[in-house]
Order: sequence, then structure tokens, then C-alpha cells
Amino acid sequence: MFLSLRGVTKRFGSLVAVDHVDLDLTEGEFVCFLGPSGCGKTTLLRLIAGLETLDDGEVLLEGTDLAGLPARKRNFGVVFQSYSLFPNMTVAKNVAYGLECRKWPEAKIEARVAEMLELVHLSRDAGKYPHELSGGMQQRVALARALAPEPAVLLLDEPLSALDAKVRESLRGEISELQKRLGITTIMVTHDQDEAMEMADRIVALNRGRIEQVGSAEELYWDPATRFVGEFIGRINMLSSPDLCAGLDTTAGETVLAIRPEHIVVADGGAHSGTVRNVAFLGNTMRLGVEAGGQDLEIEVHGRRRRMQVGDTVSFDLPADRVRRLAASSP
Amino acid sequence: MTVSRTSRLPDSDRVFGVATVMATILLLVTFVLIPLWAILKNSFVTPDGGIGFGNFIHYFADARFVTIVGNTFEVGISVTLTTLALAYGFAYAVQRTAMPFRNVLRIVALLPIFSPSLVQALGLQFLLGRNGFVNRTFGTEIDIYGFWGIFISDLVYAFPHAFLILSTALAVADARLYESADSLGAGAWRIFRTVTLPATRYGLASAAFVVFTIVITDFGNAVVIGGNYSVLAVEIYNQVSGQANFSMGAVIGVLLLLPAALAVIGEKWIARRQFASLTAQSIPLVVQPNRARDAAWFVYSVVVALAILSLVAIVIYASFVRLWPYNLSFSLRHYQFDVQNGIQPLWTSIYVALLTAVLSVFFVTGAAYVNHAFPMRASRILYFLAILPAAVPGMVLGLGYILAFNTPGQPVYWIYDTILIIALCNVYHYHAQGFLLATTNIKQISSTFDEASATLGATKLRTVWRVTLPMIWPTVLAVGVFFFMRAMVTLSAVIFLITPSTQLAAVSVLYLDDRGALNQAAAFAVCIMATVVAFLIITQLALRLAGIRGVSLVR
Repeated sequence: MFLSLRGVTKRFGSLVAVDHVDLDLTEGEFVCFLGPSGCGKTTLLRLIAGLETLDDGEVLLEGTDLAGLPARKRNFGVVFQSYSLFPNMTVAKNVAYGLECRKWPEAKIEARVAEMLELVHLSRDAGKYPHELSGGMQQRVALARALAPEPAVLLLDEPLSALDAKVRESLRGEISELQKRLGITTIMVTHDQDEAMEMADRIVALNRGRIEQVGSAEELYWDPATRFVGEFIGRINMLSSPDLCAGLDTTAGETVLAIRPEHIVVADGGAHSGTVRNVAFLGNTMRLGVEAGGQDLEIEVHGRRRRMQVGDTVSFDLPADRVRRLAASSP
Repeated sequence: MTVSRTSRLPDSDRVFGVATVMATILLLVTFVLIPLWAILKNSFVTPDGGIGFGNFIHYFADARFVTIVGNTFEVGISVTLTTLALAYGFAYAVQRTAMPFRNVLRIVALLPIFSPSLVQALGLQFLLGRNGFVNRTFGTEIDIYGFWGIFISDLVYAFPHAFLILSTALAVADARLYESADSLGAGAWRIFRTVTLPATRYGLASAAFVVFTIVITDFGNAVVIGGNYSVLAVEIYNQVSGQANFSMGAVIGVLLLLPAALAVIGEKWIARRQFASLTAQSIPLVVQPNRARDAAWFVYSVVVALAILSLVAIVIYASFVRLWPYNLSFSLRHYQFDVQNGIQPLWTSIYVALLTAVLSVFFVTGAAYVNHAFPMRASRILYFLAILPAAVPGMVLGLGYILAFNTPGQPVYWIYDTILIIALCNVYHYHAQGFLLATTNIKQISSTFDEASATLGATKLRTVWRVTLPMIWPTVLAVGVFFFMRAMVTLSAVIFLITPSTQLAAVSVLYLDDRGALNQAAAFAVCIMATVVAFLIITQLALRLAGIRGVSLVR
């Protein structure tokens, strides 16, 4: 394994921010840590970067324990949410900083800086100061600065969340492309499921300091392992009513049955029926709030149909192969 | 699992951190804790070699001594209450009314900060002394020497300190509270009592403690104008400098240390109970013009400002007349300084002030940085020692330096009788203020710059040099300016440390006044004020030229 986490644990007082996390990354992989704020994803990234010290466990790079190595000796490139470009240095000086720390010869530094700025399309802004650049440009400089010293791993801490929606979209593509081109092992922290699903090879869903599930975007969406993953990625209905669960296997104890709104099939003469409580028309889809069997359900209907009205009765099926059995998440 | 952590090799950053923290603590122990220890030791060691309260019992049996202690508290409490009332009104007028010339009035109120504490008493002598302006003009026989002399001159001396704190407290307010009170039908007085006053409670308490400490430990004004009305600060000087009675000096030192320490602890205690009065949703209060109210406050402020100004102006005036009060024709002869060491003490003062400023930049901002950048167990000790000097009156620290360092064979004995000991005493006398100023500013700089630098492979030393310093240098400069100003005007801490070859300007004013050479004393005082003001203006101009704005140098 290229990068391995073994029982990584971090406590802040009585709070366990990261709780025995095990994870393996292969070289060149793009992994996203996804979870709500406070789930420990940023702390986990900072532990890998060496910006926090482990309370327990180990971080291994190609089998070598990194415990004794402070951040500056790990050769990991880090991009922060707040850009954190040095305000007193020009763009070129910022990018050169890591190379100067490594005592590269001057000519090599100059060539590398030019190459990196070329890579992020900022060659013309080499002499500018950070405050003269837009947020998106600053983050590209930060990216160039982190990549310049040829780091073993690239760590991105919510790199896009301080940016406008438009800039965010275009930078998503740019980062993905850069990562593929350089083949650099990358970990990105985000709370934005779209971002994670679009960019990552694998997503690590985190909740309360623990890994809930690791897998590709498809795996997490189609086969969520836990209730947390199901609810955090996309929308999902928990089936609690005995009426609705009838005919489904309800044996196992600490689990819950669930189905995504688009998997509920609206059909005349369906096995179940309910009353429409609200209707949201969203163009190609229509989202219905339905009360059935004593619980609320969300149903998504596609294509052109007759507009439903509040108070209408709707009948539907819950296809057994679409119903997921989810493990209860850590409370 | 934890084996990996314990086997960690010593990293150069860790070594750097531990080394700088330890060095800072060593300096603080040497120049704060050891002198304080020397004072305590001397106060509890009785002449027969025993240890106990013998000295205290001995001196408190003396009725004169008890009177002096009583006098000190009488002056302290009365000046504190009066200063608070007057400065609160002045700060209110400046911050909460639309009266004209607010900026000019503000600067006038700050004037006493730029001069040694004895200059107010000097001005009072010219104004109300036996041969003062008033007595000669109106034929009255006012005797200003004594309680009232100390009262007025310390009132003026402490005024700007209280004004600065109260002005900050009154600067911000939530308009919504005022609008609510107004719409509920509260009158102006009720609004003041129920909204304004409660919001500034902390500022008031803080100002009270600061003023009380300043007054009971002030030496300059009391020695010049106290007459037969003795206070502890003068008594300690007489006992030590006059009679070399170190044990009594130490006893008085402890007596001054106690209330000052209690005041500082009280202030910190209140600060912790203060909740933020402003939140992100607050709407800043915008002062609306109100002719009657503005006019009334304007009159009040002008009267206060004129009173302060008159004490400064008459000193300047007296320095330019041939012989006060008999011959008032213009003359520059007092600026020839053909007495004593001539103008040399002024130069010595400037050397000392520059040395103090340079040392403070390294030691004080250094301490603040180290405390911030290398959190470790010892950091708490460092922080405590760094703000401990706030509770130590200057005279006590100065006396501590004599007691601790005036012993041949001491590792730092060589600094004795040099300007270095004076500069060091200044640095550690005002250490707490400088340290807190620097800490506040360093904290405002996001820690991600440090982290970004570290992940790029930089050592802490490189980060400090390339990233941190370029960002905090205005703060470093402000700390330097603060220490320069304090060093130019301080009298109490250094009075015990000067020698004929290291005499300072503020002390010259004192000696000249003592000899009755009032005009020359005035001229020397004017030189000190001019130096401080010129230094401020030059620094401010240099900042402007460097394109830096919004750095306030007067704190």
C-alpha cells in the first residue's frame, strides 16, 4: 500500500475527533473525505499532514511510519480552504518558497516556478501579489505552490468552499485534470457530496470520527451500508411503518429498511396507497410528499405526467430489489 | 501502538521551540522573579538575622509610618474616584456627542502621557505655588504643597490613562438597545443609567484599578509638591537613597506591591466575567447631533482640556522666560544647560530609550511570539511571568534590582551601574503591557500561514523570518515606540539605578527642581516632551511613507 492509516485516533479533551480509522490508499488515487461539519474529516487530513499529533495509531507511507516526522519533513503538499498565500510575497515567490526550503539551485527553482504557473494558467501573473488576484486565482497559486516541490501526496482541505459557485465548478474540473495528469496521490476533504462524487475515485464517508463506508460514488449511492450514508448522499426514505414493510424481510435487529424516492414506482393498482400532502414541480421531475401507512414518504416521479394535487390518493409499489437494508450509524 | 511516538527523534523545530521558551523564562526569572524575591527576603529578614514579620511590626509601631500609609490610601482613593468621574465625562463627550474639535480635545487629554510624572507638579508650582501665577496676580496666599498638590497633579497625570480605557469602552455600542430604550419611553438619564453605564462597567473597573495603582506608586509628583504630606513612594526613596535603609525600603516595597497586585488580580477577575456586549448582529450606534447636549459637553470638555493644557503650557512658558516669576522677558538661556552635566542626561535618556526599544522588540515581542508559537507545559509559567510585572510598581522593581544585582559575584553584576540595567529595568517594568499588545496582534494572524509554511518544508526559524515578521512588523514597531516613550518619561523604576555617569533627563528635572532652578527644570522637561513628540511624529511619517496606515502608536 502506498499510504496506510492504522487505528488513527485523535482526542480533544473528552471528544474523540478521529476514532480508530483504518484506510489504505493506492498510488495515484484520488480519495475524498466526505461528511458533515464536525465529523473529523479535517482533523484526519491534518493528522496525515503532520499538523496534529496522533493520540493513537500510525500513518505509514510505503510502509514507513511517519510518526517522528514533523509536517515540514513529510513532503506532503497541502492546500488550505483560506488559500493562505503569503501576502508579502509575489505569486512567483510563493510558488518558489517550498523549493527554497529544499535548497534547490536558483536556475532550477526559476524553471520549476515557470512550469507550475504554466500548469495553472497564471504565467502572466507571476509578479503580482496575492491581494491583486481573485479567489479562484489565489487558490490556483496555492495549488501550484503545494505541487512545486513534487510532494508524495497532495492534501486538499475544502479547497473550493470559499469560492463562488461558478469558479468552484470550473476549478473542480481543473483540479481533477491536474491530478490525473500528474498521477499524484490526492486526498480532498469536502462536505459537498456533488464535489466528492464528481471528483473522487473513492469516497470515504465519515461520521463522528469514524468511517461509515468506503467506495466509489456509485457504490455509496446504490448500496449505502449505513443509514448515515444513505441520508447524507442523495435522499432516502426510511421504512418504519409495518404496513409498508409487509412482505419485506424485517428479521435483522439493528438495521432499518430504506428506499430512494426515485425507486418507488407509482402505478395504478400498486400494493400500497397513500395521500398526497405536498407537491413540488421541478421540471423533469416531480417530488411528492405522501402519507402512507402512518408515515411520510418522498416519491420522485419522472417524465411528463398529470399534475397531482394535494389530497389526491396515489398508489405505488416498493420493489423488493430496490429496498436497502441499512445498518444503524453510530449514534 | 504508541511505540512510534516515544521513539521520535528530537526535531530541530522542537529544539528551537524548547530553547527559546526556556531562554525567555530564564530572562523573566532573572529580571522579574529574582528582584521580587530579593524584596520579599529583605522585608522578612530582621536585623538580628531572624525571619518573620519583625520589620513590619517594628515600622507599624511608628505613628509617623502609619500616617504615611494612611496618606497613600487617602490620595489613592480620592484621586481614583475623581479621575474616573472626570475622565468618564470627557470620554463620553468625545465618543458619544457630535461636539466640534473632538480630535483636538482628545490629543490634549493625552498630553500628560508624553511627560514624566513630575512635570504636572512642576506646572502646578508655576500656577499655584508660593510664587505662582495665581498668588502673584491676585495677591492670594494659596499653599498648594501637600495633599491638594499631589491630588491635582496626580489627577492630571492619571487622566489620560483612564481616558484611553474609558474611551475604548464607550467607542462601541449596540444601537438596537438605545432604540429599544427610546421607544419604551426612557429619558436620557434613565437610558444612561440602564444602558450606557452597565455596558461600560468593565471599562470603569479596569480604569479604577489602573489609576489607583498609578497614584499610590507615583513618585515624581509626590516628591515635588508633597511638602510635609508624606506618601509611601516618597518614603521609600528617602529611606533607600537618603539613608540606605534597605530593610525599610523592602517593607514599603511589599506594602506597595500588595494593593497593586490585588488591583491587577481584581481587574483580571472582572475581565473574565465580562461577556461580549457586541455580537455580529449588533448595529453600531451612530451619534446624532443634538445642539443643546453637544454645546454642554463641549463646554465641559474645553474646561477640562484647558486645565490640562494650562499645566503643560505654563511649563513651556516658564522655560522661555528670564527668571520666573520676577522677570518674564523672553530668554533662551535656560536651554544652554550650563549646570550639572549640561544636556548630557537628555542624550543618556535617548540612548536608554532607544536601547529599551530595541531590547523590547527582541525580548517582549519575542516572548509573545514564543508563547504563541510553541505551546508546551512551560508556556503557562512563561505567560504568568510575562504579565506579572503589571502588578509590580516601578519603584519596587528598581529597588529589587539593587537588592538582587548589587552583589559582586552575581552572574549579572557586570550590568550594574551601566545604562543596560536601566534599559532592562524599563523593559521588564512595562513587560506586561507590551506583551499583551504583541500577543493580541500575533493572535489575529491566521495560524494557517504557519501551517502552510511548515507543510512546504520550512523550519520555524525560516517561517518567523520570511512569513511572520513581514506580517507583524507594524506591531513590533508599535511595541518599540511604546517602550521608547515609557523609557523617556519614567522616573520611578530608574530612580534607584542611575549613577552620576548614567543620569537621565527625568531625574535631572527632579534635581533641578529640588535645587530651586525651576526655569531650567522646565526647559529640561520641555526637551523630554519635545523628544517624545518628535519621535512619534517621525515614526508616524515613516509609516506613512512606507504605505502603512491605521497603526496606532499611542497606547
